[in-house]
Amino acid sequence: MISISLQQKKCIGCNYCAEIAPELFRMSKKDGKSVLLHATHKGDYQNLKTNDFFREDALKCKEVCPVKIIKVHDCKS
Amino acid sequence: MDKINFVSKKMKTKTMELMAPAGNWESLRAAVNAGADSVYFGVEQLNMRARASMNFELSELKEISAFCSQHKVKTYLTLNTIVYDHDLSIVKKLIDEAKKQHISAIIASDQAVISYARSAGMEVHISTQVNITNIETVKFYALFADVIVLSRELSLNQVKKITTAIEKEQIKGPSGRLIEIELFGHGALCMAVSGKCYLSLHSQNSSANRGACMQNCRRTYTVIDNETQNELLIDNEYIMSPQDLCTIDFLDKIVDSGVKVLKIEGRGKAPEYVKTVVKAYREAIDAIENNTYNTAAIETWMEDLKSVYNRGFWSGYYLGQEMGSWHNTSGSLATQKKIYIAKGTHYYPKTQIAEFEVEAQHIAKGDSILITGPTTGVVESSIDELYVNGKPALLGKKGDQITFRLAERIRVTDKLYKLIPNPELQ
Repeated sequence: MISISLQQKKCIGCNYCAEIAPELFRMSKKDGKSVLLHATHKGDYQNLKTNDFFREDALKCKEVCPVKIIKVHDCKS
Repeated sequence: MDKINFVSKKMKTKTMELMAPAGNWESLRAAVNAGADSVYFGVEQLNMRARASMNFELSELKEISAFCSQHKVKTYLTLNTIVYDHDLSIVKKLIDEAKKQHISAIIASDQAVISYARSAGMEVHISTQVNITNIETVKFYALFADVIVLSRELSLNQVKKITTAIEKEQIKGPSGRLIEIELFGHGALCMAVSGKCYLSLHSQNSSANRGACMQNCRRTYTVIDNETQNELLIDNEYIMSPQDLCTIDFLDKIVDSGVKVLKIEGRGKAPEYVKTVVKAYREAIDAIENNTYNTAAIETWMEDLKSVYNRGFWSGYYLGQEMGSWHNTSGSLATQKKIYIAKGTHYYPKTQIAEFEVEAQHIAKGDSILITGPTTGVVESSIDELYVNGKPALLGKKGDQITFRLAERIRVTDKLYKLIPNPELQ
C-alpha cells in the first residue's frame, strides 16, 4: 500500500498531475486546483491510501509538481 | 476668474500615477503609506506570482478594497496567466468577487479573462504578458481596456509615438476616457520578451506563464561546445541575468513621453523594499510636478534605492542606446541587510513604548531597526534608549524582553530586524 497526500491550498492548477494520473487526480472546475480522488480531507490536506499499482504514477506526479505539494509514502497496511 | 480656476485645476492634475506591488498585507500597507496611487495584487493562483506566499485569499478582497478606498488608493487584481479550461470557473468567481468588492480594475492578458471582465462591467487593464509594441494593437485592445502597459523592450521614442497617436486620434477605452499608457518603472527585468519564458517549464515543470518561475536565468552557467568540448570564454557566468530596471534618473523623460501610469515591479519582494522604492518614486514624481527634480535629489533617491534588494541598475531599453546589462553576482547588491532579532509582545500607547522578545542574535542601543507586520506594515527607526527586562541597558540578548520608545504602534504579529551594512559589499 502507498499513502498519497495533496496540499490543495497551494496548488497553482498546472494540470500535470491530472494529465499523468487521471485515476488519482482531477482538476476541480470549482476552483481550478487539483483534487486527489477518493481522498479523505483533513485541514489543508487530502489523503489517500491506495494499492501499489499506482506507485509509479504517484511518484511521477510528486516529481513534476512545480509547487511540491504531492507526497507519496509507503504504508504498512 | 475662469482662467484662474482653470490653472488651479490643471495644477492638481496628476502627472503620473504611481502603481505599487502588494504581495501581502505588510507590503500593501507599506505601499499605501509610502504614497502609492494604486496597488496591484494577486488572489489565489492565476497571476504571475502564483505561489501562495505572494498572494491574498479571496476572502481578503473586501478588506483590501476597504483599506485602499479609505486611503483613496486604486486596487488592481492581477489575473494574467495562461488560462486553461479548468480555470474558467475560478476566473469568473474572482472577477465576480472583485466587482462585488469594488476593486478598481482587472489586469488581464488572456482573452477569456478580458471578455468576462468586460461582460461583468469591470474595468480592464492590459498586462505586460500581451507584449504591446504598436499603436494598432493599442487600438485593438482599446475596445476592451482603459489602461495598457507597453512592452518593456520599447524605447521612449517609440512610447511617445504611441501616446501622441492616442491623443491625436482620440483613442478611447470603454470608459470613454483616452487610453492611458502604463510603463514598468523599477524592478526586476526578465531575460525573455515581456516575461514570456519557457526555461523554468522545460527544466523544472514549473511554468513562468502560470506564475511559477524558478528563475533559471538568475543562476551561473558555463557554455561548452559539445563537438570540441571547448568552453566558451565568458567574462560573466550569469549569462542570462539582467540587472534591475531603474528609471528614477530619467523619470522626467518618461513623463514627457506621455506615460500616465508608472509600475513598480516586486510582488515577491520584502515590504521594506516596497516602502523604499515607492517612497523614492513618489518623491521623484512630486518633484517633477513641483519643478524640484534635480541631480542632488536624484542622487539621494539612488542611494535609497541601492539600500534595498537590487541586482545593480540599468535603464532597460527605454533610452535606446544600451545593449543588455547583466548582473554578475549571486543575489542582491543591497547596501543594507536585515537580521531577524525579536517578535512583538506589547505596545504601551500612552508612553509610546514598544516591547519585544529577543529570539535570535542581539540588539544594541543605537542600532537601526526595521519592524514589519501585516497590520503595522513597515516601520524604520533606531533605538535611542534601550531597556532590557525593565532596566536601562546597552545590549539585549536572546531570551531578553526589550523595550524602547517608538511613535508607531507595534503588534504581536510584528517582527523586528536589525539593519546593518551588507557585509558582502564591504
